[in-house]
Amino acid sequence: MTLLERMAPPEIITTNGHLIDYLFSYTTIMNLIFFFFVCLGLFGFSYLYSSKRSAKGEYTYGNKKKQQAIVGYLIGASVFLLIDINITRMSNDDMLNEFWNFPKAEEEVIKVEVLAQQWMWNFRMAGADGEFNTADDVLTNHDLHLPVGKKVEFRITSKDVIHSFFIPNARLKVDAMPGRISRMWFETTKTGAFEIACAEMCGTHHYLMKGRLHVHSEEEWNEWYNEAQNLADIGNDNDNIDNFWGWKWESEQ
Amino acid sequence: MTYVHGKHAAPKTFLSKYVFSFDHKVIAKQFLWYGIFFLFVGGLMAIMIRWTQAYPGEAFPVIGSFLFPETGGVIPPDTYSMLFTLHGTIMIFYAITPILIGAFGNFCIPLMIGARDMAFPLLNMLSFHIAAVSGIILLASLFFPLGGAAGGWTSYPTLSTLIGSPGSGQTLWCLAIFVLGVSSTMGAVNYITTVISFRAPGMGYFDMPLTVWGLWLTAILNAIFLPVLGAGVMLLIFDRVFGTTFFLAGAAATSGTGDPILFQHVFWIFGHPEVYILILPAWGIVSDILSFFARKPAFGAKSTALAMTTISILSTVVYGHHMFTTQMSPLLTQTFMTLTMTISIPSAVLFANWLGTLYKGSIRFDTPMLFSLGVVFVFGLGGLTGLYLGTVSTDLYLHDTYFVVGHFHYTMAASVLLGGFGATYFWFPKMFGRMMDEKLGKIHFWATMLGLNGIFFGMMVMGFAGMHRRLYNPFVYEHLEKLLPISTFVTWSAILMGFAQIPFVINCVISLRSKKQAPDNPWNVGTLEWTIPSPPIHYNFEEIPTVKCGPHEFGNPNLPEGKDFQYQTEDLVKA
Repeated sequence: MTLLERMAPPEIITTNGHLIDYLFSYTTIMNLIFFFFVCLGLFGFSYLYSSKRSAKGEYTYGNKKKQQAIVGYLIGASVFLLIDINITRMSNDDMLNEFWNFPKAEEEVIKVEVLAQQWMWNFRMAGADGEFNTADDVLTNHDLHLPVGKKVEFRITSKDVIHSFFIPNARLKVDAMPGRISRMWFETTKTGAFEIACAEMCGTHHYLMKGRLHVHSEEEWNEWYNEAQNLADIGNDNDNIDNFWGWKWESEQ
Repeated sequence: MTYVHGKHAAPKTFLSKYVFSFDHKVIAKQFLWYGIFFLFVGGLMAIMIRWTQAYPGEAFPVIGSFLFPETGGVIPPDTYSMLFTLHGTIMIFYAITPILIGAFGNFCIPLMIGARDMAFPLLNMLSFHIAAVSGIILLASLFFPLGGAAGGWTSYPTLSTLIGSPGSGQTLWCLAIFVLGVSSTMGAVNYITTVISFRAPGMGYFDMPLTVWGLWLTAILNAIFLPVLGAGVMLLIFDRVFGTTFFLAGAAATSGTGDPILFQHVFWIFGHPEVYILILPAWGIVSDILSFFARKPAFGAKSTALAMTTISILSTVVYGHHMFTTQMSPLLTQTFMTLTMTISIPSAVLFANWLGTLYKGSIRFDTPMLFSLGVVFVFGLGGLTGLYLGTVSTDLYLHDTYFVVGHFHYTMAASVLLGGFGATYFWFPKMFGRMMDEKLGKIHFWATMLGLNGIFFGMMVMGFAGMHRRLYNPFVYEHLEKLLPISTFVTWSAILMGFAQIPFVINCVISLRSKKQAPDNPWNVGTLEWTIPSPPIHYNFEEIPTVKCGPHEFGNPNLPEGKDFQYQTEDLVKA
């Protein structure tokens, strides 16, 4: 494996993950240009004006109008206009158009409730009744099964300490906080098995809080879902009150 | 008490001279040794952390079997959490703060503004003694059942409440931070007052060396924001000890509910200015040293001072960028993102002025200068990589990954450490009356520079590849397995950086034991501390000097032949 392959981020499996990589690359190019100039000044001046080559320093305070104009307008303003404004605008557009643009109530969307706990991910999907927190819910731990090409919305909370629901292949993470419900959505584009991580320090076994994301083709997923649905009545321990950790899904939350 | 010319006589006994001293120069040295001790402890912890990241499950060499006999020398996961928690805490509060602010703040401020001591010498002494108490509490916390704090240096509740950390280590950690906050606030109040009221006659604010500007702004931020952290950890202590629920929520909040996110707000209102609290002294020192060794007035010194002031003000309104993943309201998120970006304008001005100082200078590459040039390089990398974390969408991916670790180490660790070393080499002759060895200093610089860039750039690379922080063994994740060789490289860079400090220690020991007295002004610099003997006499100045020109008077063409600088006490030479 070459070094570049090792350095590459995980494969993108969502419709909008590339936006984050694009902004990263854009910022990198801009940074390289500016850092090039910093290095040019730093090493270039160090070479040209070392005491060996330049016996005497120029006597200037650098507070003349022209000098300060170069510093303030040319360098200060160009950093702001070329980098800051651009990346802020791009990031803001991405957030408004994609990452904060949650699926509307009328859209067909796979809904998943997530409960984080030390050190495990609990997932809940509504059963045939379409309601959350009922006896026929499909419950899984660690493993999350999703169909490809569908929008998925997560509602996430935590039972004990703060965790962070991180899907590297989607380039997204959001904290799972006790007492709050946070949200995330994406639309998958690829089938396969991927990893879910906890990205917020949550105790000694933080590193073992690893989940699996299985993205199936639609038929495969339907098959899985129907089977899980049938098993729910037998498999779910419905006498256990702890099993009903879910909550009613409000369409606008 | 004997009074000589309205001054106390110099203390004679060991206790009054070295322990209960009111003398700012002695207190500075106390803070210096205190900081260097903790730098060693924190550094050793860093090496242990890096070891588990490169060789998971393998025994830590040499001292491992002594420290962790029950696992045969392997660092266990709970100890690993304690290590990174205390590495962060110690490096920030017990190493960098005492060295940059405690030692150089105490030493430089009175000497550079022409004062005989700090405004409140007793407060100054207490500030060190309270810091010492805090250090003892922190180290003692390691020996309590269940060990020291293990919730990260940010110690977010609810992990840091009894739900996640039942041991008393976490309580003692909070207490230690609170006590240290008291100490730092005392120091800060002292510095602010001293700078405002003890400047030598004739010294306006813009005649102060930029070092003093940096230290002064740091003190102002410290005085405002450390009490906020103090309040936060005090509430945390209440939650832990008295059963309140300020930061509890969810299933655990059985008696009323608070909000864990509240702590994050309190923490980062302090925490973001803290970044600048640490870097501002280094900026000031670097701005001065670049001018001193380029033999040229600091380019745009006034705009450098004002840019530092602007950054200090802006630093108070950007803290929300640490909390993008807590899903604040979009309006708040957008506001914090935009405000964060504006910080790059004054930062660009700083860089432009630094490079402007070098331009057409006559640069001498003594060790302090090398370290200062190093700061410009690493702070460039650290500052620019902050942009990725300031924009929300990229932060969603990079937050809490090694990219963040690399970024903040470049700004807070690499820049501040290099700045601190530069300051040590520069003021060592004034502090101890002995020169440090140039050759060993240069070896120290290049080895440190090589090591730290290997570490922190490697970390950023791993972070972009998706490795998140604070994992005992990251390689349980399949997508991170490929990063093991890079992680090993980072570890060996860290070991190199650790060994790179040996020449520094040897240099210190040799210099201190040498008989050769340093000249009063070895660097040919005109600021006030170089007008007096090395080391300075009791009460520094026989006569309080009168300041007649700025701190960076180099290369004035009207100066007589053979002289390229003038003292601040001399009238500006005109044609």
